[in-house]
Amino acid sequence: MHSIGDWFNRRLQPYRALSARDKRRYWADFFLNNAIYIILLILVIYVQYYSLNVMRARNTFLSFTSIVDILKKSAAALFLALGVGGIIVLTGTDLSAGRIMGLSMLVSASLLQKPASEYASKMYPNMGTWPILAVVILVMIFGAMIGSFNGYCVAKFKLHPFIVTLATQLMLYGFILIYMTWGNNGGAPIAGLTDKYKDIVKGTFTIGKTAIPYYVVYAVIATVIMWYIWNKTTLGKNMYAVGANAEAANVSGVSVMGTTILVFTMAGALYGFSGFVESARVGSNSATAGLNAELDAIAACVIGGVSFNGGMGKISGILMGVIMLQIITVALQWLGVSTNLQYIVKGFIILVAVAIDMRKYLVKK
Amino acid sequence: MRKIIAMLMTALLMLGAVAPALADGPIQVDVFFYDYSDTYIGSVRASLEEQLAASPDLYAFNFYDGASDQGKQSQQVDTALTRGSDLLIVNIVTTGSDEAAQNIVDAAAAADVPVVFFNREVSDAIVNFSDDVAFVGTDADEAGYMQGQMIAEYLLAEGNLEKYDLNGDKQIAYLMFRGELGNAEAFGRTKYSVQQANELLAESGYKLVPSAANQTDNTQEADGISPYYLYGNWSAATAKNLMDTALTTYALDNGDIELIIANNDDQALGAIESVNEQGYNTGAEGSAYIPVFGVDATVVAQDAINTGKMTGTIKQDAVGMASGLVFLAQNIQKGAELLDGTENFNVDEDVAKIRIPYAIFTGAAE
Repeated sequence: MHSIGDWFNRRLQPYRALSARDKRRYWADFFLNNAIYIILLILVIYVQYYSLNVMRARNTFLSFTSIVDILKKSAAALFLALGVGGIIVLTGTDLSAGRIMGLSMLVSASLLQKPASEYASKMYPNMGTWPILAVVILVMIFGAMIGSFNGYCVAKFKLHPFIVTLATQLMLYGFILIYMTWGNNGGAPIAGLTDKYKDIVKGTFTIGKTAIPYYVVYAVIATVIMWYIWNKTTLGKNMYAVGANAEAANVSGVSVMGTTILVFTMAGALYGFSGFVESARVGSNSATAGLNAELDAIAACVIGGVSFNGGMGKISGILMGVIMLQIITVALQWLGVSTNLQYIVKGFIILVAVAIDMRKYLVKK
Repeated sequence: MRKIIAMLMTALLMLGAVAPALADGPIQVDVFFYDYSDTYIGSVRASLEEQLAASPDLYAFNFYDGASDQGKQSQQVDTALTRGSDLLIVNIVTTGSDEAAQNIVDAAAAADVPVVFFNREVSDAIVNFSDDVAFVGTDADEAGYMQGQMIAEYLLAEGNLEKYDLNGDKQIAYLMFRGELGNAEAFGRTKYSVQQANELLAESGYKLVPSAANQTDNTQEADGISPYYLYGNWSAATAKNLMDTALTTYALDNGDIELIIANNDDQALGAIESVNEQGYNTGAEGSAYIPVFGVDATVVAQDAINTGKMTGTIKQDAVGMASGLVFLAQNIQKGAELLDGTENFNVDEDVAKIRIPYAIFTGAAE
């Protein structure tokens, strides 16, 4: 006990040393810098209160079931955010993320449909079902190729990623529309997925009494891998260096081009894998697949403190950002807030997040 | 040399000016779709393309994707008129206000080109603007009424009322998945499905009531039906996410949610994907079941119905819609009046609106 008291005393020493005015400033800064967490905390407490006293529902907002629901949604959204996060660290952005995922969704679904005898509107009626691992690898390579194309255009022609990915996003939509008409399909949604495919993504194991789908595990694995790359490899260090100051990085011998292409390629592979998961999760895939999904991913990164000024951001931040965005979405549904208001609230929170981010950045400078 | 080029150019220009007057050649048909990614519109597009391409000596055609952007679509129409068009077929982006449709009608009238609107409905005033304007569509509210009829018929079938009124309160708690806000079809389907079902159920003493799992939108008419829905916005993915969260709070086995109604099949399928995870509607022998109703009869929904995962849907006849449009195009090609020979169609009184009928679909034939 004695040592804990000591530890606190030592921690509090610098704070005690502040003048009254500085103390006030310390708290003002604290509230401003953590405004997003505070707003969220208030929201969560309110929804919890509401679900306990007003709704009298089967579960409360902070019940285990509800938390698992939020984590499941976060896991599904995480792959995209992990990919786009690296690009934002490079001071870029990726508008093609959603469509790459969309194309991957359609390709995964079309290759893993039940045989024509069980599902009459199969896209390629005479083709057998692919091994699942082959499809995963295929769509990841697909995504990686599109990503590296993005990265190459950005690095080689010194274009802003916004423009490059705006263009590739349009091209991808064209490919999606074409792909939908291939085989026997004629523009219909692609569904009738094999049970094995669904099982690998949506199948569950149980903790306590709550079923957790496998894709949550994949999300955890992806997070660990990305954490390792960002923090423990040369590529990760180079990524931060290029994002903070590309010229300085170049002078000190970092290949800006190589780093940019690799980060985009990695992101593409993640989008591809995300499509594989999302396709089975949703079950029925139309041409709107992945539409605007990148916007949620980018918003999550921003909320999680990945700075648009580049060179700053952590995997843990992205994870928090994704979870917080899902908490907001789910909380608003719990409250039964009308759709119109939901958009306003979401927009407001993103704005606050960016403003705080800019403030921190200026202070650091 | 320059002179020759100038003369050639002039000749070309004159030819161009004269060309539309030549009869009997293929006519230029320009078709504007509100959004290529819409599943049902996609099937109309496929069928229309097939039918128009079948007679290249009658029709030359161009298709445009409005991408849900009225500004973009209006520009496409302008460009098509400038380029020279004989018939505009327009699936307008903005419904619910006349402005955009009026601009298109005005521009077309100035160029003396007939306009046929389809699927997304325009007002009577627009269609009555001249004899060269028509509308081919379904009655926006009819799908709602038919869906309501289908729900009532299903529940009135023997034993179903008792079976699906899980908590025995003589009320069936329904969850509604709504399409785009401000869209006339979504509005009609949301309201009239429940209204019609309740009318038909009245005698039995049962009625549909909104489940607590719905959101409440106070900007909607306070008719006891319209304000209650989950906003799936036509999308399977969105509907699935909403349903997942609804199911953390509300159960399928205690009367919280006893029936699911969706404005379209994609949303219905998203909801089914979600209840599958709770062991409902898996299509397996003896699996628990909650009735789910959609609209559109997409191939995926038909398959879901045939395999016991979904209950019923309303068939929008995509081929019938395309045939109706081609029929009108044929009139223009022959140089006849736009609405010649449409007696066999179901046309509104006092206004040139051709209605392609809906049909209830609860199983078989894909």
